[in-house]
Amino acid sequence: MNTNASEIVRVDNVRKVYSDNGVPVDALRGINMTVLPGDFSVIAGPSGSGKTTLLNIVGTLDKPTEGAVYLDGEDVASKTRRQLADIRLRKIGFVFQAYNLNPVLSALENVEFTMMLRGIDAAERKRKSLALLEELGIGELARKRPNEMSGGQQQRVAIARAISNDPRLVLADEPTANLDSDTAVKLLELMEKLNHEDGITFVFSSHDPQVIGRAHRLLILKDGQIVDDKVNV
Amino acid sequence: MLSRIAWRNILRNKRRSFILILSIMVGVIALVMTDAFSIGMMRQMLTNQIGADAGYIQIHRKGYHDDPALKNSIVNTAPVRAALASDSAFVHISERLRTFGLISSASNSSGVSIVGIIPQEEERITTVHKYIVEGTYLTGKPDDIIISTATAEKLKVGIGDKVVIMASRIGGSVGSEACRVVGLFETFDSGFDQTHVYIPIATVERMLAAGGRVSEFVVNPMDPKQTDSIARQLRSRLPADFEVLTYKQMLPLLVMQIQLYDQIIYIFYAIIAIALIFGIINTMLMAVMERTHEFGIDMAIGMSNKRIVLMILTEAFYLGAVGTIVGLAIALAINIPLSHSGWNLAAFSDSLKSVGIGTVIYPVVGASTVLNAAVIIPLATVIGAVYPAMRAIRLQPVEAIRAS
Ligand SMILES: Nc1ncnc2c1ncn2[C@@H]1O[C@H](COP(=O)(O)OP(=O)(O)OP(=O)(O)O)[C@@H](O)[C@H]1O
Ligand SMILES: [Mg+2]
Repeated sequence: MNTNASEIVRVDNVRKVYSDNGVPVDALRGINMTVLPGDFSVIAGPSGSGKTTLLNIVGTLDKPTEGAVYLDGEDVASKTRRQLADIRLRKIGFVFQAYNLNPVLSALENVEFTMMLRGIDAAERKRKSLALLEELGIGELARKRPNEMSGGQQQRVAIARAISNDPRLVLADEPTANLDSDTAVKLLELMEKLNHEDGITFVFSSHDPQVIGRAHRLLILKDGQIVDDKVNV
Repeated sequence: MLSRIAWRNILRNKRRSFILILSIMVGVIALVMTDAFSIGMMRQMLTNQIGADAGYIQIHRKGYHDDPALKNSIVNTAPVRAALASDSAFVHISERLRTFGLISSASNSSGVSIVGIIPQEEERITTVHKYIVEGTYLTGKPDDIIISTATAEKLKVGIGDKVVIMASRIGGSVGSEACRVVGLFETFDSGFDQTHVYIPIATVERMLAAGGRVSEFVVNPMDPKQTDSIARQLRSRLPADFEVLTYKQMLPLLVMQIQLYDQIIYIFYAIIAIALIFGIINTMLMAVMERTHEFGIDMAIGMSNKRIVLMILTEAFYLGAVGTIVGLAIALAINIPLSHSGWNLAAFSDSLKSVGIGTVIYPVVGASTVLNAAVIIPLATVIGAVYPAMRAIRLQPVEAIRAS
């Protein structure tokens, strides 16, 4: 297989068939795509088109039925469960639609948690996490638990958590779907800034026009197939 | 940080954690109580037997233990007295002349062990004087006799009544003495009561025409832990025609029974631990299943299975530790006063008496009991969390995240 050394992700002819009570469901039907450093890509498509499935497969949370996924040129299929956990820890950041912060941890601790998993010592990770929360404009919320924060605030913490380990790639599955449009815009501006200034690579899934409008690259997914791939819209 | 998360997860569902801690506490208390009572009971059986008759060490003429006949009693007591002379500061000593014989009244008779004692010396060795329920202990008059209430009933005699004792002398003739009942005793052991009567040693000597003979010297170290070393010294000081026995040799069945009990207690431990493990499995499984979605997120952000398992086991360990500490505190608060005052089991006293325990049990809370509980219970808690933890990591990350 020819993989370009600079590609972060290469998805090669990926098919995913789910079984819905014995009935096969073709969620992805032959997907080819790449993610390059610095991308700010959006996968758009109607509900059920396979966006989440694709992001999960790229994020090594799920396995394709057919085809291959390469992360930094390495075939994901050859990795053990433990190696995949380590790849996710070091290379991938996740932002979910429902924020999904740890409810028993404060904003600061949620960010520190991933650094702790990487073995960074307590003082260092605390300093870095605080700096990150400051950068994302929520420094004053460091001690708050998720249930004491608004959706937009929680999503900022989730973004801080996602980028805390300096990942190669942040995968964000409909990150603005639960937010009002003002909050969504602010969050998008924040991520654009992180992309622009810090060179962090983002791949979104969304059907939110505000997200789609900011995409540097737009992939349109329909019934498990990429029907359009536009650069620099 | 993992330990902080574990604590907070415990505090998250306070009711469930409280119930779990409560069941762990019950396990600890059950374990400590069972242990303390059985050790107390066993020790009591032994000290009762030692206190009633055997003492810690006895010195006989060689062969007396196997055949406790009058002809096997010590004739020349001088070597024994010499051997004991240097120990008199550390031990209490008593000498007895005893034989099997018959006690009879006008209406009945009974076969008994007739024990001739020096009353003031015997008081320091055995506990019979404490069990006098009517009348007095031997007063020093040569025709005094004390018998048990059971024997008195059988012979239909009371305080002040006359009884006759008789036994064979060496050579086959029969000696007898007329005695007056001065006291009735009732010990913890009904079998013992029915078969023992006490009279002054001089009276037995006269009855048996065995002046100067001694069946047994009873030697009680003031510190019972010294038993073995004192016995060893006495053996080395005495000529070969004497035997020095400790209670372990005199009461081998009882000692064996105690050793057996020490092992049976582990079956109790196992039962308590297994009950606890199933309780933990049940509750932790619920707690883990509720958090499936959260574990999915943990997996997504790169937490390894090993760490997830560790986190769940840490939670279980903390629950176990809290339950154990509080449970131990309660168990000790119950047991330590009881170990002084004793627990009166008068309701069961007949059956306890027939096995020689008595009516009041003094539980013994030793370091080993506390240690057993402190190791077994938290361990059982952690073991009980292994299966729930395995269930948590068996899920694929996407499935776990999809769970709500
Ligand atoms: N675990 C599963 N078992 C069975 N079918 C599934 C499973 N996950 C997804 N599907 C199906 O696969 C298809 C793609 O689902 P997916 O969640 O990827 O779509 P989506 O584009 O993310 O939709 P949405 O915009 O609603 O989030 C759908 O038909 C869905 O019902
Ligand atoms: Mg989706």
